[in-house]
Amino acid sequence: MANWTLTTKKLVADVMSADTWLPSEMPEYAQGFMYMLGSLTASSFVVVCISGALLAMNGPDSWVYNSALRFVDATHFWSAQAFFFFMMLHLWRVFFTGAWRGGRGRTWLLGAIAFLIAIPTAFTGFLINGDLYSEWNAVQAKDGLNALGLGWVNLTNSGQMFAMHVVILPLTLSAVIALHIIRVRLKSVVPPYPEVKSSNSKVEVK
Amino acid sequence: MATHNDVVTHYRMVPEDFVKHLVSTLVIVAVVVLAASLLFGVPEKTPLTIKTYATQHPVAFEQMALRALDGQGQIANYGPPYNHGTGSIQTPLQSLQGVLHPINAATDFIIHPLTMAASLNPRVRPALTSWTHASAAQRAHWALAYTKALSTGTYKNGVVVTPGGSYGPLPVMLSTTLQLGKSGLMSGALMRSGVVYERFNTQNYLLFLQGAPLQKDPATQTLAGNHWGIIHPAIAGYPGAWWMTIPTWIYQWPFVVNSKAPDALALAIGFLFWLALAFIPWIPGLNRLPRYLGVHKLIWKNFYHNHPPGAPPHTGETKGEKGESLDAS
Repeated sequence: MANWTLTTKKLVADVMSADTWLPSEMPEYAQGFMYMLGSLTASSFVVVCISGALLAMNGPDSWVYNSALRFVDATHFWSAQAFFFFMMLHLWRVFFTGAWRGGRGRTWLLGAIAFLIAIPTAFTGFLINGDLYSEWNAVQAKDGLNALGLGWVNLTNSGQMFAMHVVILPLTLSAVIALHIIRVRLKSVVPPYPEVKSSNSKVEVK
Repeated sequence: MATHNDVVTHYRMVPEDFVKHLVSTLVIVAVVVLAASLLFGVPEKTPLTIKTYATQHPVAFEQMALRALDGQGQIANYGPPYNHGTGSIQTPLQSLQGVLHPINAATDFIIHPLTMAASLNPRVRPALTSWTHASAAQRAHWALAYTKALSTGTYKNGVVVTPGGSYGPLPVMLSTTLQLGKSGLMSGALMRSGVVYERFNTQNYLLFLQGAPLQKDPATQTLAGNHWGIIHPAIAGYPGAWWMTIPTWIYQWPFVVNSKAPDALALAIGFLFWLALAFIPWIPGLNRLPRYLGVHKLIWKNFYHNHPPGAPPHTGETKGEKGESLDAS
């Protein structure tokens, strides 16, 4: 990296470019439902964030006594389910297409990190719901974290879990998802494997 | 069809309305989520409260309270991060973290709430004084005798009745604890910091209930880890945390479930699974697996149909990829 400023300048220009974010053409192989799964995952995350923000700005337990917020609570639950559902389908698609090829290894890694962070993000949401499921999961899961020396994360402390679920984890997850999507846009989606099935093929596979 | 880094480099670019694509996926998700919310609502199972447990299981409640008082309860002898006990230490890491959330089960769960109750019930103060001034041996004697007595205890006319015996102040202390529980005042006594007025920290409330009350609750039996409970919802028919299927599966492995550190082992092995997933691109063999599985041929069926092996590139095809400057991965 000869000149940090010039390198950063080029990266920022690429990331901020309208061509990066608003493409008017796509590769011919990146068509159909399989190529909607990433966007469906991101769209689910948007709905999760909007519904979660509505709940958070009304305060803990507000969904218990307010019927409108109880409906928002339901949308938060189902959008989280949709997020994981589409993320899992997206994961299978990118695995079966070897999406790390062509210098896309870090894009894959960022996606895997997003998946890992999404798990405690959802889990802490379950913990602050205030029902039997919250109680059970808090007291059951505490032993695992305590055993791993992570007892500072006190699953039985609703205040700490609220902060984790509403601020710390979603911001971290958003940042990782953003980096993942930036790399997808900059690198485009992985091209197909070269076809080598035919016996008379002269395709050279590296 | 030349190759570079195991990817085709000749393909056409086709017109795309990316904004419409994004709006479409957002609308699809919104419609599905709103429909599911309208049709199914949100799964919530009524929580187990201290008041409910004390009312429905008065004898078991007193037994639990006695275990907290005499140090036989799980939290009383848990170890880090709650206290210096040894009963639930699974790994050296657990010991190293020290006591982060100090709990003295006898004081925090029983003595402190009873001290508050003493201002309402004059009978409690002498009982508390008797207990706190008794020797450890005397307390152990009372506790052992009353543990045995409670095993045949019955609930009549609002109190737990046991055979007569030498129990010291324990009957008064535990019946008052039961009254606190039944009244609903116990939760306030447990979550009261004495320094700040907020009740953000629900730790002592949940840890008070974490033993027999929750473990033996019929509603939690399907949620137990050794019954694949991690992925089960609290209300049958709804989806749970199904994305935890692999860690839940690990919990079923005999050497894990029979280990002295099942939670640490299951989570650690689960993390290894994640590491394998995350680093597939750099794991020889695994990073070429999708090519041999062949599912990509279905996903790119049209592309392969339009680009048979050995065929020359079509007119207007693009060569190369976007963003080569980021190629180093």
